[in-house]
Amino acid sequence: MLSIRDLHVQIGARKILKGLNLEVKAGEIHAIMGPNGSGKSTLASVLAGRAGYDVTQGSITYQGRDLLALAPEERARAGLFLAFQYPVEIPGVNNAYLLKAALNAVRKQRGEAELDAFEFLGLVRDKMRLMQMDESFLSRGVNEGFSGGEKKRNEILQMAMLEPKLAVLDETDSGLDIDALRVVANGVNSLRSPARAIVLVTHYQRLLNYIEPDFVHVLSDGQILRSGDKSLALELERRGYDWVRQEASAA
Amino acid sequence: MNEAARTTVTGRYREVFEAARPSLRGAAAWRTAGFARFAELGFPGPREESWKYTNLRRLEGRAFRPAAREHARGLELELPAALGEHRLVLVNGYWRADLAGPSLPAGVRVRSLDDAHADETVAPLAMRIPTGGGTESFAALNVAMSADPLLIEVDAGVRCHQALHLLIIAAGAEAAMSHPRVVLRLGAGALARVVLHYRDDEAAERFVNSMIDVELAQEAELYAYRVQAHGSRTFHIERFDARLAAAARLAVRDAQLGSSLARLDLNVSLAGRAAETEITGLFIADGSRHLDTHVLVDHRAVATRSLQDYRGVAAGRGRAVFNGKAIVHPGAQQSNARQSSRNLLLTPGAEIDTKPELEIYADDVQCSHGATTGQLDPAALFYLRSRGLSETEARSALTRAFAAAVLSRIELPAVAELVRDMLDGRLAQLLEMPS
Repeated sequence: MLSIRDLHVQIGARKILKGLNLEVKAGEIHAIMGPNGSGKSTLASVLAGRAGYDVTQGSITYQGRDLLALAPEERARAGLFLAFQYPVEIPGVNNAYLLKAALNAVRKQRGEAELDAFEFLGLVRDKMRLMQMDESFLSRGVNEGFSGGEKKRNEILQMAMLEPKLAVLDETDSGLDIDALRVVANGVNSLRSPARAIVLVTHYQRLLNYIEPDFVHVLSDGQILRSGDKSLALELERRGYDWVRQEASAA
Repeated sequence: MNEAARTTVTGRYREVFEAARPSLRGAAAWRTAGFARFAELGFPGPREESWKYTNLRRLEGRAFRPAAREHARGLELELPAALGEHRLVLVNGYWRADLAGPSLPAGVRVRSLDDAHADETVAPLAMRIPTGGGTESFAALNVAMSADPLLIEVDAGVRCHQALHLLIIAAGAEAAMSHPRVVLRLGAGALARVVLHYRDDEAAERFVNSMIDVELAQEAELYAYRVQAHGSRTFHIERFDARLAAAARLAVRDAQLGSSLARLDLNVSLAGRAAETEITGLFIADGSRHLDTHVLVDHRAVATRSLQDYRGVAAGRGRAVFNGKAIVHPGAQQSNARQSSRNLLLTPGAEIDTKPELEIYADDVQCSHGATTGQLDPAALFYLRSRGLSETEARSALTRAFAAAVLSRIELPAVAELVRDMLDGRLAQLLEMPS
């Protein structure tokens, strides 16, 4: 589904990713872990198409297409979803408007009919129940005045509505208390499917207690230094990141 | 402008005025005085501070003739949807009694200089020549040449919640000028809602020189909805003066959307204790429009309150000017003056010059002002696009959100809907164009 080859990315003159390789197949859940500043969020941003990142080398292929040639909205319509680390507050743009516009854009691309108001409301109510969100959120501005936890829930709500093929979750666990973490994890798990891939970008192992990954990768200084199964995450939790870096430089 | 050029322009207007005189009804002395004042002042030049950003050379160069009465009276018009319960229509400055209706509630009267014997009763009330400010000469010209000044009176204590939809239309094939004049006088404790709706048929270039003169007696309350929805070929100059007695209240909801060049001077004098005004507005300078809005609030009495809240959008080669000023005069203690001007540039070629000003000559007052000019937030744009909205949809949604804060102040649903529709239509056009 997603194939990243030798990816080099810089912001201005600063090199952030330095030859990153990653293969993600449908049905898989990958966790990308690493210390602060290792390039995790850069990877998520480049996948979604945020401006300001220069890809100087390498390629990203998504479902056989050159992902880097697509505009952010084309990526979204092709089934890629980024749950933001810092969801943006947009006063004056109604949450329901965004959900509906986004859903219909994606549905149109999939060759499905637009939902009418009644169908939309039915669907969004189901998903809000799943995310334990009050319906009053629908009439509020996008993320406007939401707490940190509410913003993250709202991201997963959008994801549940859009049913992406590839979901990239950027530090979705940061700033969540244990109850909110459970709700968010529950939302993500509800989307697990053989047809869908999920990439979790996270600093801590905590989220992985609730969303069990198939693969864990350690990203450090712009490269994936080590890959393994979920036991690698536990080892990182116990030993920190330094040993991975030391082993990598020794090799 | 040099002296010779000034003379040429005023000379031309003098010829026009003299030629029109026989057809101008009533108020002869006022008209003579009005023209004399205009001739004395001439068109404002670029060296005048309040015309620093707005150049009138294009308007000066045009040889507009006054619109003809018979023509305006005979025009078949397609009227827009109602924005109020009662319709009043001025076409090229002429009163069209035939298009007015239904009849007004008791205590609300509309008279025109056109009415028989109106001269003695209407003219003294309707023909005031305002002094000072950047549009004084235009207001004087308006007094001289206004065809059928309209006097709307609401008797003391009459609270008319039904809205008066005042259509001020420029129409017909001729490149004509018109000088609509509307005087609104509310008695003590009266209430009125008035929609000032400017339109044209885009069939020719025009010069619309409008004067709105508002007088609110003690505790009177006026809601004025201004929709300047001219096409792209009109020069629109407007002076809107309001004087408020004690505890009177004026709300202005302004939508400055049309014209090739438009200038509005909105002057509110809070003359009586605890008088209060709330002025909110939106302007959209797209295409090659030039929109200039000058708001001035004079706090002349104790415990007066004012709010100015304007949002502006410019795109294409559009240019907008906003000058908001509040003066707290000596003795106007416990006054509260707030101003906010927020502006959005949608494309790199557009320009907005904004200047909030406060002059305070009293010590026990609360004043605040703020002005910002910026572009759409790239982080918000990316967020919306990452959810599948096209760049156009995302920009449109964010621009509508920007305008929503002032649009939500429009209490009349029909007016709010019209302005929203016009905004949406504009956005669809201007955002589809490659930037």
